[in-house]
Order: sequence, then structure tokens, then C-alpha cells
Amino acid sequence: MEIVLNHIIPTPLSSIEHRSESIWGNFIELKKGKHILLNASSGKGKSTFTNTLIGLRKDYEGTITFDGQDIKNYTPDNWTTIRQSKISVIYQDLQLFEDLTVAENLLLKNNLTNLFSEKEILEMLEKLGIENKWNQKCGLLSMGQQQRVAIVRSLLQPFEWLIMDEPFSHLDNDNAMLGLDLIDKRCKDLNSGFVLTSLGSSYNYEYDQELKL
Amino acid sequence: MLEKLLFRNQDKTQLLIAIIGAFMGITFLITSIHYIIKVNEFGKGTDILGPNTIIVQKKVTNSSSLNLTKTDFSLREIEKMKKERFIEEVKPVISNNFDISFETSDPMVPYFRTDVFIQTVDQNFLDVKTDKWHWKEGDEFVPMIMPREFLVMLNTFMSASGIPQISEDLVKEVKFKFKLWNDSTEERVNVRIIGFTNEVSSILVPASFMKFGNDKYSDGSNQKITQIMISGKEGKFGLVEELLNKKGLESKNAQMVIGRLKSVVGTLFFVVFGISIIAVLASGLVLIQYMQLLISRNEYEVRTLLRIGYNPKEIIKSFFLYFVKIFGIVSGIGFLTFIIFKYFLDKMFLTGGLYIDTKITILSIGALILTYLIFIISSYKTAKKGIFKQF
Repeated sequence: MEIVLNHIIPTPLSSIEHRSESIWGNFIELKKGKHILLNASSGKGKSTFTNTLIGLRKDYEGTITFDGQDIKNYTPDNWTTIRQSKISVIYQDLQLFEDLTVAENLLLKNNLTNLFSEKEILEMLEKLGIENKWNQKCGLLSMGQQQRVAIVRSLLQPFEWLIMDEPFSHLDNDNAMLGLDLIDKRCKDLNSGFVLTSLGSSYNYEYDQELKL
Repeated sequence: MLEKLLFRNQDKTQLLIAIIGAFMGITFLITSIHYIIKVNEFGKGTDILGPNTIIVQKKVTNSSSLNLTKTDFSLREIEKMKKERFIEEVKPVISNNFDISFETSDPMVPYFRTDVFIQTVDQNFLDVKTDKWHWKEGDEFVPMIMPREFLVMLNTFMSASGIPQISEDLVKEVKFKFKLWNDSTEERVNVRIIGFTNEVSSILVPASFMKFGNDKYSDGSNQKITQIMISGKEGKFGLVEELLNKKGLESKNAQMVIGRLKSVVGTLFFVVFGISIIAVLASGLVLIQYMQLLISRNEYEVRTLLRIGYNPKEIIKSFFLYFVKIFGIVSGIGFLTFIIFKYFLDKMFLTGGLYIDTKITILSIGALILTYLIFIISSYKTAKKGIFKQF
């Protein structure tokens, strides 16, 4: 799925002067399968970008198209399909259910497509070093552990794009690398692209494209 | 798992109050509808007159005996009564203006003969099938409705003659004849009994036979209307009775008592019905508000489910089915309680002498289904509105 941002300016950012290379107000193409880094300092609109792309915000000028279709015309059913099988997201605030266990949080997502077995999900957690948290409530985990649960949850669906809003902000470099390895492998398996927003770090990964805000 | 997520934080007390309210409302609603219908039906089919119909005549007083006041009804009086809002219909009871006698004509029954008084009333007042209630010259027999007192009298005669008494069904098979005559001519016509009445003291015949007799055998004197039939509107018997008292009219006591009883019991159930409607609406409203509260308490959960790819329809379905189940259980228990209530109430009515039909009315089932439908539609709309707000 090709994503085009045609002179997008979110309403809250319309009064701010944007740099010439900023994605705001320019024509940007996100080509299928590309691994993209969106680097910007805090408050520049990284979460606004994520939320706009996933249809949670509609307060912008310009057009965003998925394979040529303006997303402003999407119905709730269209968005459900997009969120189930085209775009997966790691939200900055993680969007986990704190009262549910790690297992329940992950199975709630996996139940939509039944893509993985419990064993396979546990293997993913193991790669991130939190397989022993399977039956623990998410609310009792540290932010770093919760972030790893959110990473695994985002991979439990088919997708063409993985949008990650500061996914490693609470992780040390080693754990961030483990997370990125898992993401990279899954994206390569699916021939999918990703957009990773970051406060500056590139996590020693070779990106196909770098965007600015 | 979706249910566990969405229904884990509930204020059970509020839910319980709403459930109890809905249960009481539904139970009383179907109970009151059932008994409003049953009480109104009371009397139907037990006699040949409609359940709200009475035969009235003017009270015979000293002055009427002295011919100072009239005991017959003028057409103007009848028309005036028809205009009362609580009266369905008023019709004169037409009597014979010729000589007529009734006699047995069956080899199985000893000969018996008596002069009789026959009357005819409008077909609309009679609870008999129209195909049985007609006569024309040349027909095999004249259908007649006999006062039950007459059968008692006939049986007394049979007993005195050393013959076994006969039942209502059997007497319908016995052959009888009417003898009609005047000074110059006479004739006999076959008669068959098709029904019995407690409410009319004379033999009832079709209007066509009465006309035939009056035309052919009348002595020529003017025919007076001394009795009329009044059909009151459902549940308005108190007003009919008030009018009768005001106009100095009287009826058979049994008819008056039944009418009064029906009016009182019917009114009581109407009051219960009104309270039930309010209870059902109020509890329905509380349940719907409870759903709104539940959705707003789960705002984060609903929004997150939508963000991770859950279809809003699936979340709506979860809330909808939860409340459909709750209301289904409430309705089911309400219906069972109604059955138990009904068992005891029917017993009470029976003990009190009100022999009402014990079958469950379709309307009370209909009211239950309608209430359930209204509630599930409201639930669906509330759930839909609440979920799509989060999209």
C-alpha cells in the first residue's frame, strides 16, 4: 500500500513555520516496503503524524491517500480493515489494558486474525526477555516491559505498514535493539514497510528514507 | 475476553435496582393486561346476551298502576338514551301481539301445552351464530331461545309424569310446536330450541317470525314497547347504572351485579396497568442509562479496541447482547411470576364467584414481546451511539 501525504498541515500546527524539508506542507510519498525514520524533537508533531495516518485525527488541510484513495472518505468499516490488516501501530502511550494480563492483552489482538499460536507469541516475548510476564497484569509491569508487550502486540496481525510512535522511549539500547530486530524480521517476512518516529536516536539501523518535521 | 474487558467495572447495585424495577413493571404489566381482558370477557358465552347487555323496564309504581304514569318507552326516549357516551346501543324488545301456545310434539315426551309470551330482540345483542338465527315462511322449524326457568318447569312436569328429566342438550333434540291463532284461523309450526338464557324471562324468536305472527294473527291493537335492551360500553357500567336509577328503570339484579363487579375490578386493573407502564418505562430508562454509564466508564477500552482493529459492530454487539440477555432473563422471570400470580388470583376469583377463563391472553404475551422489542431496539441504538462516538 502506497501512502501519499499531499501538502498536509494539521490545524494545531498551521500557525507554526515549518522547515522546507518538513513533511508538513510538502508532497511526501511513502513507498511500499520502505523502512523510514521520522526524526524530530519533542512537540513537533510525531504523534499527530501517527494519529492522522491511522484516521484518529481529521483536523488537517491537504490530503492523505492510501493507494490513491482519500482517507477522509473512509467509513468505519474501511478503517477497521485498515487497522486489522494494512497498518499496525505502536502508540506512544502504548494503549494497553492495564487490568488485563500480558496474555489477555496479546490474545485480544491475536483473536482478530488468529495469526499466531500461544507458543509463537510466547517465543516473541522470549526474544524480548519478558516471557515470564505472561500471566502478569500489564498495569504491574514497568514502562519498559509494557513497551515490549506493545511491540509484540503490534506484530500479531498482517500489515503493510508498521507505524511506531517512539516505540523504544523507555528501553535501554540493548532492549531497543532486540525490539528492532524482531520488528525488522517480521517486516521482512511480510515485505512490509515501517515508519519509526524517534527523538533523535536511529538505533544503528539502516533506513531507506528519513523524514523530518 | 471482550466481555471480561468491557463488563468488569460495574456498579452492581444500580444494575440490580434497574433489574428489580423492570421485573416488577413487566410482571404487573402482563398481569394487569391479562385480567383487564379476562374481566371484560367475563360473562361472554355463558348466556345468549352479550356480556354488557341488560334488559330494562320502567319500575311499576302506584301511579303507573293507576295509569297516571306510563310504563312503556317512546321512540324519543330510546333515541335520547342512545346519545349517551357510555351507551353502545339501545333497541326495543318486541313482544307478540297475538295468541300463541307452546306444546310438545314428540312421541318420546308426554303431551304438554302452555300459553306463552314470546319476544324478539335485535340480532346484534344476541351471542348466537347468525346462521342458526333466522326464519322464513316454509322453513322446517322456528329457532327459539328458552328461559332456563322454563326448562326447570318442564322437568318438574316430566318428573311428575314419571319420566326422567332431560338435560339442556337433550331438550334441543325434542320436537315442539308453536300454535298461533286468532278468532278466525290457527296454525302450528315446528320449533327447535337452540339455546338457553337466564336473563330473559320469555321465549325469544327471530324477528321475521314475530313479524309474521303479528301481521297474520294480531288483534290490531297498538304494540307498546315495555322493555328495552341496553348495551353499555366496556368498563362504563357504573354510568349505565346511574342512568337507570335517574330514569326510574330496573333490571334483573344478577345482571346489575355482574356489570358492577366488572366495572370495579376492571377499573382496579386499569390503575395497576397505568402504574405498570410507568414502572416499565422508568426501569427501562434506568437500564438504558446504566448502559450509557457502562459505555462511558469503558471509554478507554472501547477506544483502544477500535484502535487495535476491533470492528465497532462487534463492540456494539457485546453491549447489546449483554442487555438483551439481562432483559430476557427479567422478562422470563416476570412471566413466570405472572403465571404464579395468575394461579393464586384465578383461585381467589373462583372463590369469590368470578368464574373467569384461565387461558393466558395473547395480548399479555404481545405486551411482553412488545416491551422486550422496544427495550432491545433502545439498547441497540444506545450502544451504537455510544460506540460510534469513540470512533
